[in-house]
Amino acid sequence: MADYEPTIIAFVCNWCTYTAADLAGTSRLVQPANVRMVRMMCTGMVDPKYIIKALLEGADAVLVSGCHPGDCHYINGNLKARRRMKLLKEILPKFGFDERRLKMTWIGASEGIDFAETIRKMTAEVKVLGQNDLRTRMVL
Amino acid sequence: MRPRIGFYICHCGTNIAGKVVVAEVRDSMEHAKNVVVARDYKFMCSDPGQEMIQKDIKELGLNRVVVAACSPRLHEKTFQNACRRAGLNPYFFQQACVREHCSWVTKDPAEATEKAKSLAMGAISRVGFHETLFSREVSVNPDVLVVGAGIAGIQASLDIAKSGCKVHLVERDPSIGGHMVQFDKTFPTLDCAACISTPKTVAVAQSPNINLLSYSEVTEVKGFVGNFKVKVRRKPRYVMEDKCTGCGICAEHCPVTVPNRFDENLGQRKAVYRFFPQAVPITFAIEKKDTAPCRTTCPAGVNVQGYTQLIGQGKYKEAVQLIMERLPLPGVLGRVCPHACESSCRRAEVESPISIRELKRFAADRVDLEDIPLPQIEDRPERVAVIGSGPAGLTAAYYLRLKGYGVTIFEALPAPGGMLRVGIPDYRLPPEVLDREINYILRLGIGLETGKLLGADFTLEDLRQMGFKAIFVGIGAHKPLRMNIGGEQDFSGILQATDILRETSLGNPQSPGDRVLVLGGGNVAIDAARTALRLGSKEVTIVYRRTREEMPAYQEEIEDAILEGVKISYLTAPVFVEGSEGKVTGLRCVKTVPGPADESGRRRPIPQEGSDFVIACDAIIPAIGQEPDSECCSASGLEVGRRGRIVASARCGQTSAPDVFAAGDAVMGPATVIEAVGAAREAAEAIDRYLRGEQIEAAESLSVSENGTNWRDIPKNAQRMPRASVNRIAPEAAKTSFAEVSLGLSEDAAMAEAAKCLNCGGCCECMECVRACERSAVDHSMVAEELELQVGSIILATGFDTMDATRFRLYGYGRFDEVYTGLEFERLNNAVGPTGGQIVMKNGQKPKSVAIIHCVGSRDVNHHVYCSRVCCMYALKYGHLIKEKAGHETEVHNFYIDMRCFGKGYEQFYWRLQEEGINFVRGKPGQITEEMSDSGGKQLIIRVEDTLSACMVKVPVDMVVLCTAMEARSDTADVARIFGVNQGADGFFLEEHPKLGPVSTATDGIFLAGVCQGPKDIPDTVSHASGAAAQALALSMRGKVEVSPVTSWIDPDICIGCQTCIKLCAYSAIEFNGRKGISEVNEAVCKGCGSCSGFCPSGAARVKHFSPKQVFAEIEGILDEVI
Repeated sequence: MADYEPTIIAFVCNWCTYTAADLAGTSRLVQPANVRMVRMMCTGMVDPKYIIKALLEGADAVLVSGCHPGDCHYINGNLKARRRMKLLKEILPKFGFDERRLKMTWIGASEGIDFAETIRKMTAEVKVLGQNDLRTRMVL
Repeated sequence: MRPRIGFYICHCGTNIAGKVVVAEVRDSMEHAKNVVVARDYKFMCSDPGQEMIQKDIKELGLNRVVVAACSPRLHEKTFQNACRRAGLNPYFFQQACVREHCSWVTKDPAEATEKAKSLAMGAISRVGFHETLFSREVSVNPDVLVVGAGIAGIQASLDIAKSGCKVHLVERDPSIGGHMVQFDKTFPTLDCAACISTPKTVAVAQSPNINLLSYSEVTEVKGFVGNFKVKVRRKPRYVMEDKCTGCGICAEHCPVTVPNRFDENLGQRKAVYRFFPQAVPITFAIEKKDTAPCRTTCPAGVNVQGYTQLIGQGKYKEAVQLIMERLPLPGVLGRVCPHACESSCRRAEVESPISIRELKRFAADRVDLEDIPLPQIEDRPERVAVIGSGPAGLTAAYYLRLKGYGVTIFEALPAPGGMLRVGIPDYRLPPEVLDREINYILRLGIGLETGKLLGADFTLEDLRQMGFKAIFVGIGAHKPLRMNIGGEQDFSGILQATDILRETSLGNPQSPGDRVLVLGGGNVAIDAARTALRLGSKEVTIVYRRTREEMPAYQEEIEDAILEGVKISYLTAPVFVEGSEGKVTGLRCVKTVPGPADESGRRRPIPQEGSDFVIACDAIIPAIGQEPDSECCSASGLEVGRRGRIVASARCGQTSAPDVFAAGDAVMGPATVIEAVGAAREAAEAIDRYLRGEQIEAAESLSVSENGTNWRDIPKNAQRMPRASVNRIAPEAAKTSFAEVSLGLSEDAAMAEAAKCLNCGGCCECMECVRACERSAVDHSMVAEELELQVGSIILATGFDTMDATRFRLYGYGRFDEVYTGLEFERLNNAVGPTGGQIVMKNGQKPKSVAIIHCVGSRDVNHHVYCSRVCCMYALKYGHLIKEKAGHETEVHNFYIDMRCFGKGYEQFYWRLQEEGINFVRGKPGQITEEMSDSGGKQLIIRVEDTLSACMVKVPVDMVVLCTAMEARSDTADVARIFGVNQGADGFFLEEHPKLGPVSTATDGIFLAGVCQGPKDIPDTVSHASGAAAQALALSMRGKVEVSPVTSWIDPDICIGCQTCIKLCAYSAIEFNGRKGISEVNEAVCKGCGSCSGFCPSGAARVKHFSPKQVFAEIEGILDEVI
């Protein structure tokens, strides 16, 4: 498994974490190339089925990241997301996924360094978790 | 229609192509499903790049476009417009970010290329499901809100007002001008800051298009670009703007002096203030904090802070008048009050509480009550009877009379005063003081009938027959409690303490005996013991069951008694009285030990068996408590409760008979004078309401309730000063006479004591300003108002804070007198500053050498990494001003890291200052210490490495100026939240783009001006502000704005009407249509956050442009390419 490179889908909000990722880029903060970002307007619009879809399609982990509590561009969408993710984590094992394959963070618009660090850490964590073997297990 | 997609990948020079193999991505996408054409180009955002897209749309019939380039936050609009120009709906465009998220952050070119392919595939897959969307156009309210009236806010407001649009300018301070009006000169021209800013502040006040809302804060912002609804809280300034002429007489009369924030606390101002004489608006404001704790602790709600301040001003008469608003017996309470106020005095946090009671006595003793004019009283027809002339009766009578009622007091004893006269011995409360104050009260026209005992001489019914419409009962608690021990009734020589005190006061002094035992530990016991000494008893011993700590008597009374020779036998309980031949010969007692605590929290004494002994004596004075003698009341039909206490409502004093009210010891049992006064005042108010036929229970208590603990800060440099000591008669002389023991404070001591008051409440509400103001412009009852404004755009110009210099401990700010911050030094230079524009040290002398330390907190990894951009230049300005004002021979040393003189004329100024003989040392000082110089004065020693000569140097100077960093306002996060904008890593507000969008924010319609976006000098601030004004005006002038069509939509065929989304929507944009049984989105209000779509159980709620199909397609595209 030494050469295993996980794929991580990140659903990030346009106002905070996507901006932070832009800032990390502008600041040339080198990160592992494992993350693919899907831009959402707010983490509040991240439907749990998007996450399950990503995992079913073979992503090894999913990151959901938005504004810090209280800083949401839409008042409190991030808090609604937090609630949903918490519940989703409870039922993920029923779908055959380790709940550690889903992670939620808050990364503010100015926190480019945090963003790069989060990506580095998460990639390392998912490497330890191992490949999402659902695709091979499932009879589609 | 089948999608025909054009795919374009941008090289962005070498930004993308340097890492991503662009041709490989292009070739790979060329074969993707539905892709008609795939191209790459050096700069897609350039004109030829955009034209390439337009040409392909037209010639190849593309109906979808994907560009893989930089972040869509940068160029999405650019490419959408290109599509629009070629006739394609802009929402058929999708951008993949392969620069910020790929080429710039990936090390390995192969990995970067793979990632780029995957992202591009996601976009291609997604765009196939895009739908036609149309932006909505909404009208724009042309009015603009500007927040903050420093030079940035002022400039923006003036620019907008010139165009004819209306500006609401909100400033939280009482006057406008911000930091700039604090300065003296401005670099590099050395213009006087006031001379160039006052014309602008005046123009703001005079412009008909500017609605200046000073002393106000924005509390809430709703709506969206073009249509914001803003709530503004106007703080009460307690001075009416339309009446105040700014004459300043109020400030002359105000007794409260506090540090002046505008002078960086170097100077002082009054509680009624304006920052400086040329302030706009010129209206004064009164600073009120939460009510001082001394006031809220007082049972009678006396304005303690107020009279303390008036005494400090020598206004004794006004002080006494202020006291009498709540308490008609100032001289009495000045002597006997247990002063709860002192226990809550915050001066104790410095050293010890202020001697408040002594100050009250001091004021009362200085004022002849005859000089106080009798108040105007409007007589009313009703008459009220007051039974008892103790503190409760006198207070009730006084306030009822002030309200116009005819009042008659009925007193059982031959002289008025109740316990004040017959309970408190004359050496504590001289009868002259009591007479003086009772006479003043009676002078109001109150009748007094002495020798009239309720129950014996008259009944309550008699009073009603006499025409009294209401009756106040304040008969006190005069009946002594029994000891209930053997022999108590059997021998002569047992005398009640209250009897001895009463007879002595009424002029029948009789010595109780030679060897006297007093039983009890309260004030009455101490009073009886000291009185017995004065009546000639040779040996007086107090017998008390507990220890001294538990004695309820006042500490100072106990001390005085001991000084005068009273002995106290602690932990001793009486068992029975021994006597022979009908006379007392001794008291058998038993030793006790403190046991577990009882209900009162005091340890219950437990008798020790077999420890009994006899104390020989010829008189025993029990003083173990009293209760009201209320048989007369129960006989009259009043309900009487435990221990003879009259049952009365705690809120209004009404008894079981509706027209009878009671207060004081008769209700509470033996308590303090001040509690009786407070309760009687409440009862008087209740009687007034009763007689007027109003609701009797008060809506709120008269005592001043605590409204918070937001008091004035205790100054860090408050000097510790001893508590004023009171002069007193020597104990040897005191114990032989009934002359008053305490002599009170001297005038000097009282002044010093009053000056120690910390003015916790800010304004002391003495109302001197109300009396002084000829225009009646002061209104202490003003409350905050809330306004709602409708504006189309908002400009934030909230400015900056300077860094707290005490964080640099090694530079000694706050410890050494002559270390200043830059802003403090500005105030020293300013003609209206604390020194009148003189550069002088605290000792009044001009400094001979000054050090200016640059970059204090700026360019420092431990604090702020950014450069504050103004310090080098104002340091040079200071150099010039020091040479000009303190003399050319004054040395000026600049300690700098780099000199940054980048603006127009700045470099020339730097050259000029070098020629003026300013010394420059490249190096950041490590430490500043204070040492004694050879001449005996103090000197500050700067230790620094001169990095140009690479040697350590020590520079002695007289004064140090720290160029502290500009930093974001401490409440930037809160303000950002209210307006929905972001903060950057440095704490300042985040602009849309650091280079190309420095005045816009990510939120449409909200713009930034000045230092709230990042450090700037005045020219840059003014330009920035004009830029913001132009942006806001662009919106106003066009009159309409396009609003993104990315809103929610609920599919009516799917919605089951569960209404879950309605509760989720933070904007109340969803309503339930009862007729159709479904929820519907109001697009004008919806912001497109998608909270509803993320949760909709049936999947009916969707956000346009972010539908599940589109997101699924993107996920599939990304992952197809990976796996």
